Amino acid sequence: MRRPSVPALVVLVGGLLLADFLIVNESLGQLASIVVDLAILVAAGAALAAVASLGLRRSMDLWRRRGDPLGAGFVLVGIAIILVAGLRPGSEGAADPAVRWILVALLIPIGATLFGLLFVFTLLAARRSVASRDRAATLLVAVAFLTLLLLLPLGGDAGAWLGGAARWALEVPIAAVFRGLLVGIAILAAVFAARTMLGIGPRDE
Amino acid sequence: MPNVAELVDRLVRFVGEVLSASTLRFDILTTLAVLGVMLIFLQLVARPVSRWVTRDAGGLGGVGRAMALAAESGTDAVVSLGAGGLVRSTDALARLQTVAALPILGHVARAAARSGVSLRVLTNDPLAGVLAAATIDASHEATVTPERHGRSRIVYVGEGRAVGAGLSLSAAARPAAAVAVGSLREEAQLYLEGLGGTAGALHAGTADAAQAPAPIMLATGVLIGPELYQAPADLRSEVEERTMVTSANRLIGVALALIVIGSVLAFVGVFDLRAVLLGVAPE
Repeated sequence: MRRPSVPALVVLVGGLLLADFLIVNESLGQLASIVVDLAILVAAGAALAAVASLGLRRSMDLWRRRGDPLGAGFVLVGIAIILVAGLRPGSEGAADPAVRWILVALLIPIGATLFGLLFVFTLLAARRSVASRDRAATLLVAVAFLTLLLLLPLGGDAGAWLGGAARWALEVPIAAVFRGLLVGIAILAAVFAARTMLGIGPRDE
Repeated sequence: MPNVAELVDRLVRFVGEVLSASTLRFDILTTLAVLGVMLIFLQLVARPVSRWVTRDAGGLGGVGRAMALAAESGTDAVVSLGAGGLVRSTDALARLQTVAALPILGHVARAAARSGVSLRVLTNDPLAGVLAAATIDASHEATVTPERHGRSRIVYVGEGRAVGAGLSLSAAARPAAAVAVGSLREEAQLYLEGLGGTAGALHAGTADAAQAPAPIMLATGVLIGPELYQAPADLRSEVEERTMVTSANRLIGVALALIVIGSVLAFVGVFDLRAVLLGVAPE
């Protein structure tokens, strides 16, 4: 069941922001600014509530020995380390060197390690795609293989020809498909955004 | 006490003062162009069901069957809202994909509610989690299954794009079906590998054009690029509407084929269709 108040609010706010975009008016600008600030405030409140809820839930998991106590312990220790580093007396908050060190020395290397798996998983996925004989996936793998051949680091005339073919493939067919996708995405994203703002959708099942 | 006329007079004066204190941010042509674009979009958005496509985008029509299998096997289903979130510090197009994922979550949640399957929703954004909870509430309300509401849960996987991928790779649970829709970028391959490696069926969709290969290689049903925004409009189309669109499309196809064939025949001087169909004398 749709509640008309939500689309009405969205249309009101959307109209206000659109009017502020088109018209220079001090009152209108202040109103739009208040609305944007309110949205940021609500989002920040929701984020804080979510973190508090996460901490509480993990504490209960640890206390009652349910779920994944080890994971809960890691989450709580992580929250505590960042809170201590960012909120201790004299700390510079998110810009504090301790917080930055935690990010640079721990989180980024862990993330990079995870993304290092991409090479292995991409090859495995390609092998499975060919094995499953899915047409789109097989075509994708075949084109990827062809592109790989074009990018072989060969010298001489053959290397120059392959390099030229690779550049042509990048600038003509790949660019055409990619830009076509982007144009389609842009049009339908705008239509979808407008539908969402106006609360327009298909009938309920 | 002012009468109605005075009130209207004051209102008109107030509006006049506001207008006189305002200037256009752009020149008149640009402003008219922006408003014109808005008008065209309003015309486009007024039709909630897309006109030309009647196929089952992303294989989402098969979600009901997957839920039936999940109910039989006693497992759950997983829906990931991608890694864009709604209030995370990422670009607007990534966040819009999370909004587009919510109707798809609603579709899956209704199928899960009917089948009595518990649903796990993965998100890395607290506000997206709140909206996902509201979507699941609405699904149980729509299917009159409030007693099954407690089985579903929202899992906040943590901040960042890598954490969702890490969680999906390390999770031991084996869901019957997994749906990953929303913004998937450099983590797409890992995320889908983790979900698809354990799930019986995997549906994936992202409007991040550069990441199209990951869903194509790993998912059984895919929504690539614009299809992610198109799918919500087609999810709940009535059978009659689809039939009408299919019929109309076929008629258009027949008309186009006639025009092409007629043109070719007329061009080579074999036969002029206009003489038969329209009664126009051959030149």
